[in-house]
Amino acid sequence: MNENKIVELATEQALVLDCGKSLKSFKTAYTTYGKLNDAKDNAILICHALTGDQYVASNHPITKKEGWWSYIVGPEKPIDTNKFFVVCPNVIGGCMGSTGPKEINSETGKVYGTDFPVITIADMVRAQKLLIDYLGIEKIFCVTGGSMGGMLVLEWLSKFPEMVHSAIPIATATNHSAQNIALNELARQSIMADPNWNSGNYYNSDNKPLKGLSVARMAAHISYLSKDALHSKFGRNLQDKSSLDYSFDADFQIESYLRHQGFTFVDRFDANSYLYITRAMDYFDVSSSNDGSLIESFKNTFSKVLCISFTSDWLYPTSENKKIVKVFNTLGINVSFIEIETDGGHDSFLLEEPKLFEAMQGFIKSTYENL
Amino acid sequence: MSLINEKKDFKIIADLIPANSSVIDVGCNDGSLLEFLKEEKDINGRGMEIDQQKVQLCLSKGISVIEGDADLDLYDYPDNLFDYSILTYTLQATKSPKNVLSELVRISSKAIISFPNFGHWKIATSLLIKRKMPISEKLSYSWHETPNLHFCTINDFIDLCEEAGIRIEKQANLKTNRLNKFYGKNLLNSYFNEVGLFLVSKIKN
Repeated sequence: MNENKIVELATEQALVLDCGKSLKSFKTAYTTYGKLNDAKDNAILICHALTGDQYVASNHPITKKEGWWSYIVGPEKPIDTNKFFVVCPNVIGGCMGSTGPKEINSETGKVYGTDFPVITIADMVRAQKLLIDYLGIEKIFCVTGGSMGGMLVLEWLSKFPEMVHSAIPIATATNHSAQNIALNELARQSIMADPNWNSGNYYNSDNKPLKGLSVARMAAHISYLSKDALHSKFGRNLQDKSSLDYSFDADFQIESYLRHQGFTFVDRFDANSYLYITRAMDYFDVSSSNDGSLIESFKNTFSKVLCISFTSDWLYPTSENKKIVKVFNTLGINVSFIEIETDGGHDSFLLEEPKLFEAMQGFIKSTYENL
Repeated sequence: MSLINEKKDFKIIADLIPANSSVIDVGCNDGSLLEFLKEEKDINGRGMEIDQQKVQLCLSKGISVIEGDADLDLYDYPDNLFDYSILTYTLQATKSPKNVLSELVRISSKAIISFPNFGHWKIATSLLIKRKMPISEKLSYSWHETPNLHFCTINDFIDLCEEAGIRIEKQANLKTNRLNKFYGKNLLNSYFNEVGLFLVSKIKN
């Protein structure tokens, strides 16, 4: 039940994108777990983050590591696959099988590269909606995700409120702050500064922009952790040596760790996808189609919502998450909020955090019982 | 801090609230009052709670709850969002009782406030005779570990309401389980009620 599937969507009517272009017939790669019941009221849609993919609870085909949210998704877990029908699609623009820059453009027969249109979070959600329609689900029981996944959740709540019974946006924001855009720009520039990037045309070359992508990942990875966690995990400890080398090798453990994060990332991710998806995040402002009014953007939302933030997350801090709560409160939406204390930083939603487990389990279970 | 007498206090609070009202319980504990009101009056309820473990309990019961602090987080709600706000045995633990009271009557049409009455004769006697800070069923902490910052008497509360432009509509007598119209300050009131439980609202300009 949980093997990767690929479906061709928008085959009859093209998906019109925010940039004005459209995608006629695009692929969505997705995994499912559990069974859709007869009432079709037990579907949970999981939205992945920037570098996530559809392998939410099954081993990754490239890294062979267990699914990125196996702690939360599985039998007897908060997203209980014995009870729920779980759907996790790879976003468009991604690189794990959904249509994106490294896939073939069916109109030209060539790889898209940077000819792929610039996409937005809203476009990703429109594409996901076509998948949900295809699966025959009229109302999703719960939409959830962290970071960029949380943005997708907010977009769902704003644009297709009637299709969402409940939602759990985690460690996210209604738009990208200047600081977040700056960090993404740093990552994009490091990719584009790699001569192997070659304006995005590297798919037929033996030399891919791995250095640039690796540095992009290193920079981003720092922003996912907290100062305290870095200090307690690495401090100023040296890597396999007792004294400084007086060189530019990885003297410190933190250097070696970051280099490892960078090296391993390039095996499973496409540099152009990284450009496209970070751009979508930077462009994200859930209120942009309502002249910047968050109130207008959620005025038709009646879903039950749980917002979650983490104390040491400086990328999508509690203040940003509370902004969402405030808007929902103002509209009288059934919103709950919990701030989990941890030094795990932004990445906490991917870690084994018992309080996250408990909050999600409590919310999902009681919400389904009261359906 | 579960000072609330579920049987008595819950009932009398439910008596104050018409069916189908929207209600926020500030300092909602494990959500049992909200559950009771849902059952009795089919309210549309929300909670706010500072203790995360209790927030988790509320979530598991399906109660919409915000992890938050009455001193800081009431400002996030618009005017008159709720029909009723409830603050049971929390006023004395807030940093600024006056601001909290003002916020409660701003975000809801009416507020129900209860607090331990420091003017009760047993407490006054403890101070007078023993010269020790009182410890009782309702005030169960010793002075150096209490979370309570601002104790008041029923008469102090009445003064504060006046100062803050808040009208007292009703007062509950928890001995007789009756709600009485409020006629103003009197000494006996402050002497013999262990608990003050009031229905208040903002005086409109």
